[in-house]
Amino acid sequence: MRIIVLGFGNVAQPFVKILCEREKELSGNFGLKPRVVAVVDRGGAIVSSSGLNFTRILEAKKLGKSVAADTKLGRPRTTGMEIIEEVEADVVVEATPTNIVDGEPGLSFIKAALKKKRNVIATNKGPLAIALPSLMELARYNGVCLRFSGTVGGGTPLLDLGKKCLLGDKIQSIKGILNGTTNYILARMTEARVQMDDALKEAQAAGYAEADPTYDVKGIDSACKLVILANWLMDRRITIKDVNISGITEVTLNEIVKAEEEKAAIKLIASINGGEASVSPRLLPKNHPLCVGGTLNAVTFTTEFAGEITLVGHGAGGVQTAGAVLRDLIDIKRELSL
Amino acid sequence: MKIVMKFGGTSIADGKRIEQVIDIVHENIRGKNKVILVISALAGVTDNIITAIGKALSGDQEAITRIIEKLKLDHHRLAKEVVKDEVVLDAVLLELNELVEEFKRVIFSVSYLREVTPRSRDNLLSFGEKLSASIICAALKADALKVKWLSGGEAGIVTDDHFGAARPLMNITNQQVKERIGNLLDEGIIPVVTGFIAYTQNDVTTTLGRSGSDYSATILGAALDVNEVWIWKDVDGLMTADPKIEPLAQTIQRISYSEAMEMAYFGATVMHPKALEPVAEKNIPVRVKNAFNLKKPGTLVMEEKLVKLGDAVKSVAMIKDVALITVSGAGMVGTPGVAARVFSILSENHVNILMISQGSSEANISFIVSRESSDRTVNTLEIALLGGDTVKDIISENDVCVVAAVGAGMKGIPGVAARVFKAVADVGVNVRMIAQGSSELNISFVVQEEDSVKAVRALHREFRLDKSEIT
Repeated sequence: MRIIVLGFGNVAQPFVKILCEREKELSGNFGLKPRVVAVVDRGGAIVSSSGLNFTRILEAKKLGKSVAADTKLGRPRTTGMEIIEEVEADVVVEATPTNIVDGEPGLSFIKAALKKKRNVIATNKGPLAIALPSLMELARYNGVCLRFSGTVGGGTPLLDLGKKCLLGDKIQSIKGILNGTTNYILARMTEARVQMDDALKEAQAAGYAEADPTYDVKGIDSACKLVILANWLMDRRITIKDVNISGITEVTLNEIVKAEEEKAAIKLIASINGGEASVSPRLLPKNHPLCVGGTLNAVTFTTEFAGEITLVGHGAGGVQTAGAVLRDLIDIKRELSL
Repeated sequence: MKIVMKFGGTSIADGKRIEQVIDIVHENIRGKNKVILVISALAGVTDNIITAIGKALSGDQEAITRIIEKLKLDHHRLAKEVVKDEVVLDAVLLELNELVEEFKRVIFSVSYLREVTPRSRDNLLSFGEKLSASIICAALKADALKVKWLSGGEAGIVTDDHFGAARPLMNITNQQVKERIGNLLDEGIIPVVTGFIAYTQNDVTTTLGRSGSDYSATILGAALDVNEVWIWKDVDGLMTADPKIEPLAQTIQRISYSEAMEMAYFGATVMHPKALEPVAEKNIPVRVKNAFNLKKPGTLVMEEKLVKLGDAVKSVAMIKDVALITVSGAGMVGTPGVAARVFSILSENHVNILMISQGSSEANISFIVSRESSDRTVNTLEIALLGGDTVKDIISENDVCVVAAVGAGMKGIPGVAARVFKAVADVGVNVRMIAQGSSELNISFVVQEEDSVKAVRALHREFRLDKSEIT
């Protein structure tokens, strides 16, 4: 299967590494022969229609700042759009950085790929949060798959559990902690009685938070994930504009201490039921199943038949997300060979 | 209130009508309403384009040139009549010339190749709406209004690539329309959108098929979550019967989406069923109003629970020009698969079936097709079915009509059918064939053509449709 990788950062690199290490197993167990025919990063692209040597891509990246540094196959300044138009492929992995303002460049990449009838695996939440109903329709219309398991819950198979394991049941509401960074910050404030700024610095030092934590602390990351869950699992055609969002920036240490005294904790909860979709800090009893610590994510699905199901697991991380991309890839292979 | 208003070709046919359009817009702006206009091609223009395509296929370039000249002249004349500002007029004349030139290039390439694809046909058909929208836009601009005209595709309507009768991809459409038209509205600009035309995902022009401008209006309405969609026509609204058949016919004031769709199937020319789909999904009311008689309230099409059911039947329709075909033979009794063969032959030959009936004796199957397809249908069936042991006879009767009583009020109410058939029997009309779908929105039956008017009037009277309080 020919794959184009757009964006070569902390998700795409481990993904290529996994493909390299698991070559035999993928072919033996799943009949999957992945060929990465192009990788694009900020500096340009590296292209080979017969499939790039995995180590060569990783080497090229090490060599310079861009994969385009490869002397023979490198194409400096070539854009993702050009690659989508020119290079034949079966799957496009869209792993450019999240942009929540207009979703670009990922949104244009995904649209162009779907219109060219390429299956798409997205790890980038921006385009999905802004235009998921449209993108799903575009994929359906062009007869290709759009998968994005890695965007919610990282390695925890939240989307698949809801979609595949609950066939025939109906998810009535979704509620949970969808952002590890803020959960870590709130947990540290609770445990160590530190102010938010200090907790944030700790999170950054531990690599749990980006240098610019805006999307996390303002609740935007959680809202993006909620949009994806709602569309994929509840068939609710909403976008990020339909979510009421308030982040954790207004939460004070005092409030946290007071909650603690009442055997409760403040958590950043994303929820959607029949009506409203919202993200806001809420008080949860300590013994509540969603009351998880550290960088954990936890989600409760309320379904018509199975009742409440809570899934707890690690949220986003490069390797976890790369694993989710692999899941999607195998899923697409299965769809294609049906 | 936010309102999408669609003006049909006859409602913008001349200077007086367009002035009325401008008045309607002004009145709504004064009332703090936001309006989005959807414009059809001028009456007759689409037909002229179709004629031109025919001429192009036979390579008759002189005839094409004549049609193009007329197209240009007609639009120029109308623009000069309604655009009351010289600068704006000059600009729109220039714009019309450019559009006509573009049209000329496309139609001439068709004439060189003597081949028209569905794609190029849609491209050509789109010019009628573009020309009229540009005039309406200029007329409003000359009257000191902030306006901008866009093609349906530019407005954000994306469809599949089923040229000639494209279906919208509603999610992408919703998002793009919200962005593009929403932005114009926020800036206080009145969008004037061409009806009937849209784009594929790759920005190739498509058309929405029959009644396409109404469809454009409801698609835009649904995407923008407007309060109402107004369809300006040259009739008072939906009627209890065709006034040419029943002079006592009344305008229906309120009707549900499903009843209106059902009526449209039975030939009420007012709105195409698919055009009601986008608004029905969001419960956006549609007002059908008469542009030639503003005082009439028109018909309001809305969700069922807000419509008073009234009596069981809301309107009586009649479909003329049909034929009753009967396939019979004693050997058909107990022989499986005869019906399947008959209908698969019909579908292979693209014959549309309006009504079907088979008694449980199985000795015959009757169905109704349009009269123009009846000879062809009988011939095809004869070739395929006669000569075996099962089918012995295929008969077509051309002097029949379908009469239908439509209304959601008959749902679950016993005795409606009895009333229908008693009323018909009382005037001495014989019923040939009967069908009622299990949706119970209509009862249809077939009568001799000479009896059809009598039957319609009898039903109209029986269900007291001539009393204007019917809602």
